[in-house]
Amino acid sequence: MTMIELRNVHKRFDELEVLKGINLTVEKGEVVIIIGASGSGKSTMLRVINNLEPIQAGEVWVAGIPVHDPKQAGEVHRIAGMVFQQFNLFPHLTALQNVTLALRKVKKLDQKEADRLGGKALEHVGLADKASAYPAEMSGGQQQRVAIARALAMEPEIMLFDEATSALDPELVGEVTGVMRQLAAEGMTMLVVTHEMGFARDVGDRVVFVDEGVIAEEGPPEVLFTAPSNPRTQQFLHRVLDR
Amino acid sequence: MGWQGIFESSGILFTGLVNTLLLSVASIATGTTLGLIVALLRTARIRGLGLPLRLYLEIFRGSPLLVQMLFIYFGAAYLGIRGVDTFMAALTALTLYEGALISEIFRAGIEAVPRGQREAARSLGLSRYQIERYVILPQTVPIVLAPLVGQYIGLVKDTALATAIGYFELVREGQAIIDRIGMPIETFIVIAGIYFMICYPMSLAARRLETRALHA
Repeated sequence: MTMIELRNVHKRFDELEVLKGINLTVEKGEVVIIIGASGSGKSTMLRVINNLEPIQAGEVWVAGIPVHDPKQAGEVHRIAGMVFQQFNLFPHLTALQNVTLALRKVKKLDQKEADRLGGKALEHVGLADKASAYPAEMSGGQQQRVAIARALAMEPEIMLFDEATSALDPELVGEVTGVMRQLAAEGMTMLVVTHEMGFARDVGDRVVFVDEGVIAEEGPPEVLFTAPSNPRTQQFLHRVLDR
Repeated sequence: MGWQGIFESSGILFTGLVNTLLLSVASIATGTTLGLIVALLRTARIRGLGLPLRLYLEIFRGSPLLVQMLFIYFGAAYLGIRGVDTFMAALTALTLYEGALISEIFRAGIEAVPRGQREAARSLGLSRYQIERYVILPQTVPIVLAPLVGQYIGLVKDTALATAIGYFELVREGQAIIDRIGMPIETFIVIAGIYFMICYPMSLAARRLETRALHA
């Protein structure tokens, strides 16, 4: 079953064309990794899927919802959960309140039921003991795990990760990718923009290399990482793996 | 003795103080409400509303409050609109004028909240109203509290302009005392003192709120 489909998607910021005809299909349960240089358009791709950026041409379908149609685009938020590079936790709310806000206001659950589900979501990411902590009192890794719990609590069918570990100190990356690995193992459909090539290789069912607004190459990680056919992919991998 | 005379007029001064406080509190409430609504509408970038709101802002920020008060009071009389007494005219002018200034304070506060907050809230499926109500405004309030109180201090003193249309606030009542017993210097010192006693605590509060916002 197809969960995400992009058809010839074009996205322009004023004069700058960021996506120049993207075609991509993601099946249910698939983990697709998106790699590429900064400015290549990979984050924009996720943001387009999640209705955070309007597109100029093409079609974006998420679980049957036409996200390119502004009238129905908002529906995508019931289907997709998103995790951001900068966590974007609500600083005035505790970890549990962060997780339960949408449960109460969007799903209209009462406080008790929301707290129960919120607690479960925090447990899922190993932070049940931080329920009453504010974001400022947590490490970056903990904050990002709360952000994942916040998205998971809404029971999304798809999780979008936009460089979820890029803002973390290196020693904190593992706890977040750990949760992401667990999610993948549980069968979650995931679209992951990342620079963590080890994670990409281990967890990805498919790797997509985005270059200057187009998908330059895609394939299973064992092929794309070891024998890329496009010279641009070779260059990029050479640069990032050499570090 | 002059001071004695002023002391004996304390009843008149008290009436003036009550009227000044009444006008101040009322226009703080209406001006803040208007300012918040204008700021929310402007930051929402609703098509077709941008220009009218901008016009409102620039006109009322860019002309003297005294002129606005006179315009509303005598304009209402000229047009035969009933029920616009001195209080209503002063309140309307103060609301529009302070509302314009306060909307800019709120707008700055709203725009100081990082864009990612709105995006995260939207991703969770919160409605536009819910995003403002539960995510943006709770973060805006600590930012705007100190400048808001600063604005209110100015507002309290601005109510003195209502004397020009005949509203019996502190300055006007002071004038009445002077008309009766003379002693303008002493009277105005007392009136200035009363304003100071209202404004200085507000000033202290603004300073405390500022340090609290810095540490938040």
